[in-house]
Amino acid sequence: MSPRPAALAALAAVTLALAVYPEFGTGYGVRSTLQVFMWIVLASSWNLISGLTGYVSFGHVAFFGAGAYTGAILIAKAGWPWGLAALAGGLGACVLALAIGYPCLRLKGPYFAIAMLGLNEVLRALVSYFEDLTGGGNGLSLPTLDATVPIYYVMGASALLVTLVTYVIITSRFGLRLMTIREDEVAAEAMGIDTARHKLYAFLLSAAGPGVAGALTARDQGYIEPISVFPLATTITMIVMVLFGGKGTVWGPVLGAVVLFVAQEIVWARYPYVHPLLFGVIIIAVVLLMPRGVLGLLQIRYRLPRTI
Amino acid sequence: MNVFVTPAMLGQVVISGILSGALYAMVALGLALIFGVMRIINVAHGPLLMLGAYATFFLYSALGINPYLTVPVSMLVLFAVGVLLERTLVFRVVDAPELSSLLLTFGISIALVNLAQLLFTSDLRSVEYLTGSWVVGPLALSKARVVAFTVASALTGLSFLFLQRTRLGKAIRATSQNREVAMVCGIDVQRIHLVTFGLSAALAGAGGALIAVIVAIQPEMGQIWTFKSFLVIVLGGAGNYPGALLGGILLGLIEQLASLFLTTQLSEVVAYVLLVLILLVRPTGLLGGRQT
Amino acid sequence: MTSKTLGALIAALAVLAAGISGEAQGPIRIGASLSLTGTYAKLGRNQHEGYKLCEKDLNAKGGLLGRKIEFVVYDDQSTPATAVRLYEKLITEDKVEGVMGPYSSPVTEASVNVTEKYKKVMVAPLAATTSIFKRPPDKKRHYVFMVISPAEVYLEGLIDTAAKRGLKTVAVVNEDTLFSKAAASGAVELAKKRGMQVIFQEAYPKGNTDFSALLTKVKSLNPDVIAAATYFDDAVALARQMRELDVNPKAYGVTVGGDLPEFYDTLKTNADFIYGATQWEHVLPYPGNTEFFEAYKKEFGHEPSYHSAAGYAGCLIYTEAVKRAGSLDADRVREQLFKLEMRTVFGEYKVDQDGFQVAHKMVTFQWQEGKKVVVWPDELAQGKPRFPTPPWNQR
Repeated sequence: MSPRPAALAALAAVTLALAVYPEFGTGYGVRSTLQVFMWIVLASSWNLISGLTGYVSFGHVAFFGAGAYTGAILIAKAGWPWGLAALAGGLGACVLALAIGYPCLRLKGPYFAIAMLGLNEVLRALVSYFEDLTGGGNGLSLPTLDATVPIYYVMGASALLVTLVTYVIITSRFGLRLMTIREDEVAAEAMGIDTARHKLYAFLLSAAGPGVAGALTARDQGYIEPISVFPLATTITMIVMVLFGGKGTVWGPVLGAVVLFVAQEIVWARYPYVHPLLFGVIIIAVVLLMPRGVLGLLQIRYRLPRTI
Repeated sequence: MNVFVTPAMLGQVVISGILSGALYAMVALGLALIFGVMRIINVAHGPLLMLGAYATFFLYSALGINPYLTVPVSMLVLFAVGVLLERTLVFRVVDAPELSSLLLTFGISIALVNLAQLLFTSDLRSVEYLTGSWVVGPLALSKARVVAFTVASALTGLSFLFLQRTRLGKAIRATSQNREVAMVCGIDVQRIHLVTFGLSAALAGAGGALIAVIVAIQPEMGQIWTFKSFLVIVLGGAGNYPGALLGGILLGLIEQLASLFLTTQLSEVVAYVLLVLILLVRPTGLLGGRQT
Repeated sequence: MTSKTLGALIAALAVLAAGISGEAQGPIRIGASLSLTGTYAKLGRNQHEGYKLCEKDLNAKGGLLGRKIEFVVYDDQSTPATAVRLYEKLITEDKVEGVMGPYSSPVTEASVNVTEKYKKVMVAPLAATTSIFKRPPDKKRHYVFMVISPAEVYLEGLIDTAAKRGLKTVAVVNEDTLFSKAAASGAVELAKKRGMQVIFQEAYPKGNTDFSALLTKVKSLNPDVIAAATYFDDAVALARQMRELDVNPKAYGVTVGGDLPEFYDTLKTNADFIYGATQWEHVLPYPGNTEFFEAYKKEFGHEPSYHSAAGYAGCLIYTEAVKRAGSLDADRVREQLFKLEMRTVFGEYKVDQDGFQVAHKMVTFQWQEGKKVVVWPDELAQGKPRFPTPPWNQR
């Protein structure tokens, strides 16, 4: 009996439940779920580049920040509606990915990671510098608007979309080629795969999600400043979520996002003064004990399909 | 803001750049060693420096001795910490992909910072010991920074002597060049890793001890040093040890010159833009480092 | 009295008693998100202690509207995004009856969007940024109230003191963050108004430790006054490097950080003659100031900073407005907050129609031989400034 109808039914049920949640949930509940959606977008996007091709993007939050500022500037200075601004945020992040992906993806392993890290800092510093446009260290304040519920839906839809895109890619030849690059790039080249172009496409795709999520978050918070949209901790968190759930899988990032978000909430509410320590321990544990992630382990153990 | 720059001002700024540069170089050397020998990117480098600064602070507060005398002690303490970390955690990610070492060391780094906040509190501390400067013509040389420069240069020099002349040092370099062949030659690679990590931590600790006299000490002070060490390594070439020296001085000069001719705010941007440019144009660094 | 009447009387008393105990429906819960960890940890905790002491003192005097008050506090880790969620939680899940403000301007700026949405009055004791309160008419805020003096006037005492003594040129440096930028631009405005010339202005990134190039530039221009909008580490670093590079303005002032005892512990005699600004000092002649100082020290084991006093006063101001309104209803309370003029341990409180603080006075002090001597404004001064600041080599 194929598990697919049951799985699809479960998925439909969950989606329905989430869709009606704002009717019953408190403002806090809706905001928190919105956060989970955001993390799903971030984690799944990171998975698209780093999980599939093996290129560790260690500054991926740069796209989030770029999207946030693009969106915020368009809303605050040009009066754009937030939906359009969010799309622009995604587009802006893609343009950034194109600009830096082309040269940076030529770098190998650790150099790529450090370059992405450096890029994140460059963006943060540049945003601080061009203060006429971005408000610099003052931050940027958006006109007051209570759009939490609509944003909840848009972010939820984005999360669904990114997951779908991941599924489509993993089951496609394109995805297979990306994973070939991950396993052995030289061999992939020898086989005739245009690795540069494939990597670039994956990189572009991986930037769009965070860009949109950034713009949406900026609108929801109503205020952004450089340090809060370009923090290294966000990159690390999305990476750990993917590692925990299972790198290179479809549902791994989703699982990781949900579980770790909930874990963080509990830890931080109970142990406010030691939560960074506990977070550090969690990271170490995930890296050392379960580098394949939950779904990765299950895939091996129970021979689950690749499309999980 | 732009002001008219006289040769004296330029000279002053160049001196300041060189003084901080030597410190950057020494601290970055530790990071370069780990990368060269173990292929690990140690994001926890900054927090190790922070621990060195606290070690000096507590010794100074408790015993009232010349804080510069605590440098060897800070180094020993950090050597032990480094060895401990390597033996328990880091050794597991030596051959793993860079993601593992990045994440592991990041986890260690935030754990260390939080521990420091719990044990030492976030209150700002400082070692008030050497203030003022020596005046040489139109130039003023900050006493604390000159001493830091001297000690850092000495330690860097000693490190190079160690690497070039001693058996252990040569073993480290051999492992750095080709681990398999080193093993075949009978080198105990595990021990080399242990010693290298300890040495790197010791250098970071020395850096912390020296700047404890210059800046305010608080648990998060190390973050910026991690970034700067990365910058230095990229500038000089990863795995290229003399490159770390050049890279350090270069970074110090760039920062100060950018601050003089542009604005201090931009000097931060300039440094990072340079990082990305070099990675794109000459990823092996100005002096050429390892290829992969 | 017949048994019937007695019965009726007892019944009436029972109903009355039930009515009274029904009134005591548990404490009034006041929610707040504070920076207990993260960058602002130390100061956020001081503010928390201020709230706690206010809670204790108020409950000892009978509470508010016949009920005790109880603070419900969460840690926002010094991040605006977290504070936003926490205020949502406090209001929609914990259903607190009142809220108090968080620490710092960025966090307050983000949090206000939530309190405005749910129409909850928020007294924000540690927000010093004008733009939180003064907004264009279509973006006006209605429920947020300021307690401390705005960032722009931090350096007013320094500039005023300098202008009165005929100094002419000013160099302004600041950290590139919200508060410091506002303080710096305020200083520039004030200087120009007093006919002084701002000959240099530059910002430096947060975390900068080497100011050699910056100070070399400043020194070459030889300003009379150096006004630095700083926090602690940069204030210390600047002072040290000014000595090393022999930069000798006739007056040098800093903002935040200069008032901490650690400032002098770190710099020792190099801190003398430096001017600092503070929202509050325990020696100021405000009602109940000394008692507050002693009670705080006893309760928490260390001296209060102005953040503690602001938190304490903010809580008093809010609860006073509630008392006068006779209810916790937001619109009635806010009506009272607009009308209220109050003098607390922290100083004066009075806001304009935007909720912007207009009565509180910052004081400027100067370190003189290890002691902070309030030198400005004249009505609160406890001593005269030692002027001009002598060059380093003559000390």
